[in-house]
Amino acid sequence: MGEVIRKREKPLQVNPFKLSQPMGATLAFLGVDKCMPLMHGGQGCTSFTKVFFTRHFCEPIAIQTSAVTDVIAVLDGGDYSIVESVKNITQKVSPSLIGLHTTGLPETKGDDIRGVARKIEFPMVAVNTPDYEGGFESGWALACKAMIEQLVEPAGHINDNKLVLLPHVSLQPIEVEKIKEFIGGFGFNVLALPDLSTSLDGHLGEKQAALSSGGIAVEEIRSLGDAGLVISVGDSMRDCAIALQKKNTDMRHHHFAHLQGLEATDSLVEMLLAETGFSGPPLPVARWRLRLQDAMLDSHFSLGQSRFLVAAEPDQLAGICQSLHDAGGKVALAISTVDSPQLEKLMADKVIVGDLEDAEDMADDYDVMIGNFHCEAIAHRLHMGLILRGYPNWEQVGNSLKNDVLYEGGSYFLFEAANTASGTQNE
Amino acid sequence: MANKPKIKELLDERACAHNKTRKTACNEPTPGATTGGCAFEGAQISLFPYADAAPLVHGPMTCHGTSWETRATGTSWKGRDLTQMGFTTDININDVVFSGEEKISASIDYIVKRYRPEAVFVYSTCVTALIGDDIDLLCKQAAERHDIPMIPVHSPGFVGSKNLGSRLGGEAALAYLVGTKEPEETTPFDINLIGEYNVTGDMWQYTPLLEELGIRVLSTLSGDGRVAQIRTAHRARLNVIVCAKSLISLARKMDERYGIPSISLSFYGKRDTSKGLLAIAMALGDADLIKRTEKLIAREERKLEKKLAPYKVFFRGRKAVLNTGGNKTWSIAAALQDLGIEVVATAVKKATEDDREKARMTLGDKGVLMMNPGVEQAKLIDETGADLLLAGGRSLYTAIKKGIAFADVNQEKKKSYGGYDGLLNLAEDLKNALQNPVFKIVARRAPWEK
Repeated sequence: MGEVIRKREKPLQVNPFKLSQPMGATLAFLGVDKCMPLMHGGQGCTSFTKVFFTRHFCEPIAIQTSAVTDVIAVLDGGDYSIVESVKNITQKVSPSLIGLHTTGLPETKGDDIRGVARKIEFPMVAVNTPDYEGGFESGWALACKAMIEQLVEPAGHINDNKLVLLPHVSLQPIEVEKIKEFIGGFGFNVLALPDLSTSLDGHLGEKQAALSSGGIAVEEIRSLGDAGLVISVGDSMRDCAIALQKKNTDMRHHHFAHLQGLEATDSLVEMLLAETGFSGPPLPVARWRLRLQDAMLDSHFSLGQSRFLVAAEPDQLAGICQSLHDAGGKVALAISTVDSPQLEKLMADKVIVGDLEDAEDMADDYDVMIGNFHCEAIAHRLHMGLILRGYPNWEQVGNSLKNDVLYEGGSYFLFEAANTASGTQNE
Repeated sequence: MANKPKIKELLDERACAHNKTRKTACNEPTPGATTGGCAFEGAQISLFPYADAAPLVHGPMTCHGTSWETRATGTSWKGRDLTQMGFTTDININDVVFSGEEKISASIDYIVKRYRPEAVFVYSTCVTALIGDDIDLLCKQAAERHDIPMIPVHSPGFVGSKNLGSRLGGEAALAYLVGTKEPEETTPFDINLIGEYNVTGDMWQYTPLLEELGIRVLSTLSGDGRVAQIRTAHRARLNVIVCAKSLISLARKMDERYGIPSISLSFYGKRDTSKGLLAIAMALGDADLIKRTEKLIAREERKLEKKLAPYKVFFRGRKAVLNTGGNKTWSIAAALQDLGIEVVATAVKKATEDDREKARMTLGDKGVLMMNPGVEQAKLIDETGADLLLAGGRSLYTAIKKGIAFADVNQEKKKSYGGYDGLLNLAEDLKNALQNPVFKIVARRAPWEK
């Protein structure tokens, strides 16, 4: 744990990798089956977001815009544009839910979107996500929390086998699936909210992009209240778990800052053993733990002599830094998009809230960059090793199937990091 | 404020063909039923490629966080390539309440000190336009402070479409750059390339040919562009608008102000490239130049045909269905025909009347113009026995179901299809698609479905 610099003297972002709050909300709604995310703002926000995710996932993306114009921005309080949007959307498709989320434009003038949504007779969740506040992680978390508050019915009993998983925004679809399966192996019926593992996992489907094609069903969300357990992964998701507990005070909550590396996965297993009373995990889990131990030892030599830059959302930073640290990798610099309670705990020499210009300024301190697509140009110019993680990755295909979590994904990640690092050392 | 463009005027462009029918196609998006980018996106598309100028986006993170380093606009600039850099004030709630003006000035100073650009483009966006940050004044002050052009670009997304934004970008260049500097020398064959952004190096497919003919590209808006050159654009003899309806008004104003005539053309496919080169020569009006151009065209076409011959053998008898929008409805169709592929249908749902007319001319009487391609294309593939579907990602499943090859025409392309040599890239890509067994194998039924 090193120095943490939160206050920026820079008046601007240069080569930013921070993403906006409404985009996080969009992604959260795409983890709900047959949902239409509706972004309330100018048409460009939606268009940019659509293209952004389409290129990252190589999949068509469902999203609509309330298309606020200059005149409407001044004259309308959201009534016209939101009501019209719902009318026009439902004329063409039949969503199970419309996920209304705002941008900076309507927030600046103070549209009462909850009030408007209440007047509309259609299943809707409304959430305020101005893009001049927070970031990608908080947008996802706010949308998730809004779904819990506005959809989940209060319950007075619990179903001990039912478990709710609340994954943070940076977990890729396959990672959500792996965590669900892992916990499911202990006899739980696991429901993830949001659930990208069946919507944006990159599957061939017929009716593409009219609505989200997969994810947790709205009916399933409504009845999450009787779950015996809720697990939040990532500090950004803690509030969502608390909101869910308010629907049923008997629900127990376990929080994990991340699920990467041996120790974090061990603590998940310990919790699951304690909750179930099982004496040991399912066989494949034990097998994968042995493999991760071996992976750590196999990769420690290369990692032990390498210095890393990690640029990511806070919850993902926590996992990546821990994972590298445990096998001897030195994280010289961790750059976060926004402030977070995670930053204090990061296993890194230096932690800053910043941009990729900051990364470039400190290029002498590391040999391998871990970050999103925008790191590529820098890595190329400065002859650095590069591991692409986070949104967006427009350079590679297969993003939704990249797995870094638990014993299994932890092994893959360490091998990739070690191979990239030794490739850099040999140059 | 005198330089601030009037949106109404820009929307009512008398040089626009569709305006004759008094259709305001460029206006008013429908809530809940709108696709396509905003004015801010259009403005930055038209101005980003100046590699010696820094784009500063005054707005929240959605505007620039999603859009920097998204277009492969090549540049030959030897300095730090500012086309692939992002600068944004990333405003927060404080700025919204108390104004973000201080941030703009400080950001400009920061950029000038660190990157020494030839100019800074300062873009307003929805939120910062709404709160009324005065970018005109701040740019004026900064220009005096740093003695380089500071260009305010009034392009908040909510004023309209991407197309309108490109016009706003052009207006900004006209108001603040064009005519502010004299070129070191002029030639009778100086031209400006307008609306060519050099995506994947498109313009480098034909600029060597122009050079060989003695035609000098004095400036561009804005492919492989330099601010220093666009400032001298008023001395050109001809404006060449490349596939960009949005910049017709800019060209008209340059004609009115500086007496520069303009022509509109495309460098997509063999026939259009040849026609385009000849049109430039004819517009410059030099008999010898026209003769040399004709010779060069003949030579290049011969060269191309020789290289295309094996492809043409491969493509003989192949049929394609095209589902895209705008000028692609006919320009890609023409390029496919240049390769010897028969285009049996093209979608015109998202095309202007002008584009529909061109599509009809390109496809001939037999070709189908699809008004509802989502429904029609599958049927047409069956009826015509088409071998290839060129469309956006949404249509992939249709191709798989029909077991025919698919090419994504909306995907961000990685190599140039422009000019003569670009046609060879297109031929290679389509040959690879047609030879790829993947579409048939993926279409296999699962063992448990038999």
